[in-house]
Amino acid sequence: MFLINCPYCGERDQSEFSAGGEAHIVRPKQPTELSDNQWAEFLFMRKNIKGVQFERWNHAHGCRKWFNMARDTSNDKIHAVYKMGEKPPIK
Amino acid sequence: MLNFNTPIIDTKEYSEIKISEIEPILKINLRGKNRDFITKIGKELSIIAPVDPNTSSSNEKLNLLWLSPDEWFLYSNDKIDIKDANFLEDKLFSEISKVKLGSVTNVSDHWIMINLKGTKTFELLSAGCPFNFNNFKNTKGAVTQTIINHIDVIIHNKNVNNLNLFVRRSFSAHLWSWMNDSARFV
Amino acid sequence: MSKNLRTTNNKFIDQTSRISFKFDGNTLYGFKGDTLASALLANNIHLVGRSFKYHRPRGIMACGSEEPNAIVQVGNDPSMTEPNTRATEIELYEGLEASSQNCWPSVNFDVGAVNNFFSPLIPAAFYYKTFMWPANFWKLYEYFIRKSAGLGKSPTEPDKDIYDHRYLHCDVLIVGGGISGIIAAKTAAKNNLNTVLIDDKNILGGTTLFQENECFKINNSYSNKWLKNEIESLKSLKNLTIKTRTSLAAYHSYNYLLARENLNEHLDINEKRDKIRQRLWKIRAKKVIISTGAMERPLIFNNNDRPGIMLSSSIKKYIDYYGVKCGQKISLFTNNDTAYETAISLNNSGVTVNSVIDIRDKTNSLIVNQAEELGIKVHWKSSVVNTNGYKKIKSIEVMKLSDDGTAVVGKKIKEECDCLGISGGWTPRVHLFTQSGGKLKFRNEDNVFIPDQSDLDQISIGSCNGDFELDEVIKNSVNLTNKFLKVNNNDYENLEIISSKEIDKKNIWLLPSDKPLRKTKQFLDFQNDSTANDVKLALREGFKSIEHVKRYTTTGMATDQGKLSNMHALGIIAETAGVKMGELGTTTFRPPYTPLTFGAIVGRNVGEFFDITRKTPMHDWHVENKAEFENVGQWKRAWYYPVNNENMYEAVQRESKAARDSAGILDASTLGKIDIQGTDASEFLNRVYTNAWSKLEIGKCRYGLMLNEDGMVYDDGVTTRLSENHYLMTTTTGGAANVLSKLEDYLQTEWPELDVYLTSVTDHYGTISICGPNSKKILSKVIPDLDLSDKEFPHMSFKNALIDNIKCRVMRISFTGEHSYEINIQSSYAKSAWEKCFEAGKEFNITPYGTETMHLLRAEKGFIIAGQDTDGTMTPIDLQMDWIISKKKYDFIGKRSLYRSDTIRDDRKQLVGLLTDDPKEILEEGAQIVAETNKHPIEMLGHVTSSYFSPNLNKSIALAVVKNGKKLKGQKLYVPMKNKTINVTITETVFLDKENKRLNA
Repeated sequence: MFLINCPYCGERDQSEFSAGGEAHIVRPKQPTELSDNQWAEFLFMRKNIKGVQFERWNHAHGCRKWFNMARDTSNDKIHAVYKMGEKPPIK
Repeated sequence: MLNFNTPIIDTKEYSEIKISEIEPILKINLRGKNRDFITKIGKELSIIAPVDPNTSSSNEKLNLLWLSPDEWFLYSNDKIDIKDANFLEDKLFSEISKVKLGSVTNVSDHWIMINLKGTKTFELLSAGCPFNFNNFKNTKGAVTQTIINHIDVIIHNKNVNNLNLFVRRSFSAHLWSWMNDSARFV
Repeated sequence: MSKNLRTTNNKFIDQTSRISFKFDGNTLYGFKGDTLASALLANNIHLVGRSFKYHRPRGIMACGSEEPNAIVQVGNDPSMTEPNTRATEIELYEGLEASSQNCWPSVNFDVGAVNNFFSPLIPAAFYYKTFMWPANFWKLYEYFIRKSAGLGKSPTEPDKDIYDHRYLHCDVLIVGGGISGIIAAKTAAKNNLNTVLIDDKNILGGTTLFQENECFKINNSYSNKWLKNEIESLKSLKNLTIKTRTSLAAYHSYNYLLARENLNEHLDINEKRDKIRQRLWKIRAKKVIISTGAMERPLIFNNNDRPGIMLSSSIKKYIDYYGVKCGQKISLFTNNDTAYETAISLNNSGVTVNSVIDIRDKTNSLIVNQAEELGIKVHWKSSVVNTNGYKKIKSIEVMKLSDDGTAVVGKKIKEECDCLGISGGWTPRVHLFTQSGGKLKFRNEDNVFIPDQSDLDQISIGSCNGDFELDEVIKNSVNLTNKFLKVNNNDYENLEIISSKEIDKKNIWLLPSDKPLRKTKQFLDFQNDSTANDVKLALREGFKSIEHVKRYTTTGMATDQGKLSNMHALGIIAETAGVKMGELGTTTFRPPYTPLTFGAIVGRNVGEFFDITRKTPMHDWHVENKAEFENVGQWKRAWYYPVNNENMYEAVQRESKAARDSAGILDASTLGKIDIQGTDASEFLNRVYTNAWSKLEIGKCRYGLMLNEDGMVYDDGVTTRLSENHYLMTTTTGGAANVLSKLEDYLQTEWPELDVYLTSVTDHYGTISICGPNSKKILSKVIPDLDLSDKEFPHMSFKNALIDNIKCRVMRISFTGEHSYEINIQSSYAKSAWEKCFEAGKEFNITPYGTETMHLLRAEKGFIIAGQDTDGTMTPIDLQMDWIISKKKYDFIGKRSLYRSDTIRDDRKQLVGLLTDDPKEILEEGAQIVAETNKHPIEMLGHVTSSYFSPNLNKSIALAVVKNGKKLKGQKLYVPMKNKTINVTITETVFLDKENKRLNA
């Protein structure tokens, strides 16, 4: 059970949060102009890396805000949390 | 006349803890993003909208709780007549929502208010709530949104060992029953 | 006999309060402070169980959680009996009943023991190898294997005990209340840190508590006296919470730990009632200090498993702590100094110590010298090569070791004894450290794995960190704790410590014997009966990884997770394979450290609290009117209202008919409701629904279909435009929370530029739906002021109204195809308003109907239920709902996916209607649909999603998804069932009132 530092509410138990998959995948502004392959790239293709992964999380049972997290999938260490629209503070 | 019904209508006392449903209480959800919205709230309610997370401001009639950077929860200190509640809702709606400053939503019956009092209050909550109350306990006015036994709640620290807890109406009977069951063991 | 096994001079057992208990049906006596194990030993009972595979007699071996043999069944009440509990951890209480496991008919005469004689035929992985083939014989094998496998009996009735959960947040958690833990606790609490100290025993102190020996002194006091004062001084510390009888079960990441506290287990059977049995503490600690100590290792030699063979330190605890003599003539076998402490303790209590057999050449430490001064005989450079005695050890055979330690030489000496203490050195209890993800390192000089690196804010101190000498334990515990907590506690500076130092070390993982290995039984894992021979066999058969060897031989896979056996298994593998132990690695210890009861895991989430229930404002009315309820998500929804002993089918037929013939009333409060405000509200709806919203007039309602980005139908519902920038959206009951969360997601992440605010008002409103040809007349009685004419209040529009001065919103919308209204009113008044509608409808035979009738009525009209007729693979086109997709809109969620190569395929599964050839035949939902019944394998074309007998059409109707279904209208297909094949025909999805005349009836 992680202890997640919500960028708005502070440290909370993981049970207050829900995970929302890979971060920094922007919904195309003009989907109709994309080929099937390009659209599939946005729709289906996700990284599944061992190491630091950027993820979306929602403080579902708290402030209900979405935010980003840099988490090492090999040991679950959370390296950073940052707000939507912000750039990852680490590489 | 239509009858007023709440799911609980009860008060239970245990050693060092008292749990009571308090209704009808006015509750309004306020959402907005800009400075004018905050100013307008201050003007209409004579209360400063708290901008620090997990805090609240209160006056003799109302409490305004921070829920998120663009969301606040207003509730009355005392039981309130539905006409007065409608009046305040309409007034806020025309001063805020109508003029495109944000949203005003009456949630008086969306939430049920339960008051918990007594030295064992936090022990009772710890039976089902993962939130760390160590600092919250000593901070008058502190607010948290968390879960108790998997049910969403808003908790407002009114005074020393005196909390107002808000739970969605449909869950309230279940939570009430669970709290009473837990109170046997604290 | 029992009398002379108990000494009189110990401080931990209250010999004035006698406790009676039963073991295997015999009434026995012990004292307050005993464990079941110490009380049994005091009664000279060593034999307590049979081993798992060979059914060999087994006795108590240890004194704590590492006990592999003394696994007993506690209690004989079918609801409270508990298998697989360790006798060494059960505190004795008045009325305790325990019995041996894994033996039949009794522990003294066990039929399964024939396995022991056949044991050469049951090597490692015997079951895997034997019962492989023929495959279809498995059914037979399984019966016998299940009968002979398994330890203990499960309770057959629900557990009557009460269990609880509690969250705890602290600055420092200290696990283990031995000397290190006490030092750490005092240091932390004195420095204003909110500190919690837990220990699994009933009192603090660990093994130092009963260490009264000249060789271990602190400031001129015996170490136990010194520690007692320290424990006493903890009481005055405000910031310190001490929890005894609390065992740490799991150490997860982010310093999240689970600990089980035993609250009534030690109480007399009559005092247990109505008290919590166990509480599971969910602990979140900023810092964790592990001080769990070490456990003694056995030695691996021929027949090392007989009852009466015990760990030497356990014999010491039984004599020094419980005042119990484990034997009258005890021999000790060791590779280190520990056994000499035991020898001295036994000697001081008047027990005869035959000799100490030590594999080392000779050593001159303080403690060894003291033992020799007391006249205790030592066989240096010797090994026990065999033991005798079936149900209890009678004698041992000793031989000299060769210089290189690989063989035994010389004459065999036989020594009579009734107990043998063995000590193979110490293993730090690193289980919790490794559970938390910590990495171990191997220390070659004494063959131990000790904590190395961890990502968490934690340290290990004391012997679990590899410090075994008293002076090092204290010095290092103080230093490590100070550094870890960034404090400076100088309470322990300048202590004068006397501590015997172990000078010579020697280790042989598998001791040599005068017989060939395969003719000996050298047990590694006592509980799972795996031997050194089994491990070697596994290596010969090609297993290399420790994880594989473990699984193949089941070494370390018993309920004790190999606490005693793992190190030797590793040692033997390393030796045999010729690799270094440090390179071999260890197996992973997984939570829980000791088994947890299901009760402790579940807590109070049983019965009423098994799952959360949500109730509508009108719930009590439904109960009063004898509704049967259906669980819809967490909601309790009225399912149907049987009258005069109707069954569900009859009730639903009656309700469905009444709703179409006159009037029906439904509680629709569970539908999700989202209040939408903001200047971009219309634009927002355009983007989330497939149809267009900008032109919806104020006061009008519209049905919307919401897709996922993959184009599949996600949710649906009616949204009403309340004013220019104000909408009320409804969602399905089950989808409410997810829809709100998804919409918030888009607003916060993809479209932050939109000025839109969402607020859930699901619980704020109760929703009363009145439908049927008389609904208008009923509503006009309830709200006389409202103009209900089709012109003023047409289908798909809404009005603000008052019922007895209470504001409400009335929508004229229909999910049944009937003329119908939905009243949304504040929940506090919803029950009363419902009753008013019901009263007003009585003259029209208004009939309350539940979810089942609702489903039937909408199926007659071919309306889908998202989640029943759709399953996340259906596009609106698949549902034949092309009309709801706006062609003009540039974009909406899921639009692009609607013309992906896969979604435009013709042969996708599509929603169709189905009629059975026999109109009385009702299809089963989920039944498969095929075109041919003779061909094998049969191609499944689709399945039935909704099926009912329609009382209004007087025939069976169904909705189904069928491959290429749109083009198959009129086609005959088959639904093969278990006993028959049902002939069906594909039809349109709308069965009733295709012209929608009833909406305005």
